Amino acid sequence: MNNKNIPTEIERFDLSARIQHVIMFTSFLLLSFTGWGLKYAYQDPASAWIRFWGGAKMAGMIHRVAGITMLLDFIYHQFYLINQARKGGFRLSLVPMPKDVVDAFHNFMYFFGFRKEKPYFGKFNYMQKFDYWAVYWGMFIIGASGFFLAFPVTVSSLFPMWSIQWIWDVIFVMHSDEALLAIVFILIFHFYNEHLRSEVFPMNWMWLTGKMSIEQLKHHHPAEYDYLYGDKKKK
Amino acid sequence: MRNRLNALLLLLLFIFVLVPAAGAAADAAACLGCHGSMEGSVNVNQEKFSKSVHGSFDCIMCHMSLKGAQHAGLSGKADAATRELASQISPKSKIDPIAQAACAQCHGDIYQAYKGSVHGKNVINKKSPDGPVCTSCHGSPHYIQPKTSKESAVNHFNVVQTCGKCHEEKFMSEKYGFSEHVMERYKESFHGRKLKVGHPNAPSCVDCHGSHDIKSDKDPASPVVGANKIKTCSKCHAGANEKFVAAITHQAPRPIAHFTEIALIILTMSVFFFICIHVLLDIYADVRDRLFRKGKGGSHE
Repeated sequence: MNNKNIPTEIERFDLSARIQHVIMFTSFLLLSFTGWGLKYAYQDPASAWIRFWGGAKMAGMIHRVAGITMLLDFIYHQFYLINQARKGGFRLSLVPMPKDVVDAFHNFMYFFGFRKEKPYFGKFNYMQKFDYWAVYWGMFIIGASGFFLAFPVTVSSLFPMWSIQWIWDVIFVMHSDEALLAIVFILIFHFYNEHLRSEVFPMNWMWLTGKMSIEQLKHHHPAEYDYLYGDKKKK
Repeated sequence: MRNRLNALLLLLLFIFVLVPAAGAAADAAACLGCHGSMEGSVNVNQEKFSKSVHGSFDCIMCHMSLKGAQHAGLSGKADAATRELASQISPKSKIDPIAQAACAQCHGDIYQAYKGSVHGKNVINKKSPDGPVCTSCHGSPHYIQPKTSKESAVNHFNVVQTCGKCHEEKFMSEKYGFSEHVMERYKESFHGRKLKVGHPNAPSCVDCHGSHDIKSDKDPASPVVGANKIKTCSKCHAGANEKFVAAITHQAPRPIAHFTEIALIILTMSVFFFICIHVLLDIYADVRDRLFRKGKGGSHE
């Protein structure tokens, strides 16, 4: 363990990634708060809630600005990835692999007590991959539909005439229902994994430091540990 | 000083009590002497009346020809035009059609617009008891508030509910052939939701359909038909074209929209159940490991 070649901690997220995350969750929260008031406009606290955000006009403005910020953050992330690839050493560690299905199966076996050990997780486990790709799903479904809804006159000329009678209803439910899915997902899955789990409570500080201790890495991402240091210290 | 005060009080007493009682013409105070405390539809709430936009009126300005011995000599006789209008709207306005018709005396331009509207034609020409007269939408004229007041039934934020009194009724939509889903579809739309949470620019029914001069959608003069619809939508959506304005019909959603929604709900529920089970199992395994597998659980040492 005290091998000098193995550092005590490892950087998982660089500064740019951490800033992208902060912009992402700030805009996500603003979008959720203001959008919630409109989605449940006919439930009692909605009007008071919207007043809290400075009235319907201001809430709408916050929602649009936050939405565009989030889309720009997402687009920036794609350039960030390209840049990472250009610099070299870029690994497709977030791409879902057949191993993730096996890991998920093993994890459930572990939950039920049929396996003594947690799965042999890589740099990112299937839950973290799920978390990451959920943003892409959200961006394409909620981001695109939100963009359409923000510029309805311009966008309507892109749709064929035969779709006009239903396309806006489809866009509306896409935006509204998938936003609910995103909120529920973050509130339950992301909050549990990164805030409420006994190991990380009150939060996983990695969002600020970007760093993970080697013990943590070895414990939660053994395959990554072996990939990085395995040849020096045979498991 | 005291004498003067007494004299003043006596004078006030004379003006407020004795003069009306002796009155040649009845003013509101005299009528309210009885109607302020009567029960039922003949009751007039003095306090609310005095705060309404018509609060300074004398009753007989609208109730121009009162009936019954108890009112003998209190009012004159309505003019011929008012009497004719009153007889036309009597199937709709049962209590005092003369008073209802009297609105047109001051609000002549609005009456003319109303007469040409689908509502007005239905009441005046077809003698239908369905169509609205002034009070159907504006409420009792005794308590009418300016449109800017939150209490007004035709206030920007209240008017949808007022229209809904009739337009939410299924038999109305069947009888007159408008969409059965008109209110429901408006309310769930962005327009309806924004209005509900207090957006001052969100359109209510009247912003697109008009109010006193409202036309049937079978009438080419309707602001929501053909080229007029483009003009109406353009009031807010600059550059609106035929394709854009086709989006809002207040009709039931098309099957494809309906099934998209069901698919999305199934997806949301599936993800919801999956993550809930995952989290609960994770908590269970965590507690189990802490209690029974101290230092062993899940480790790769």
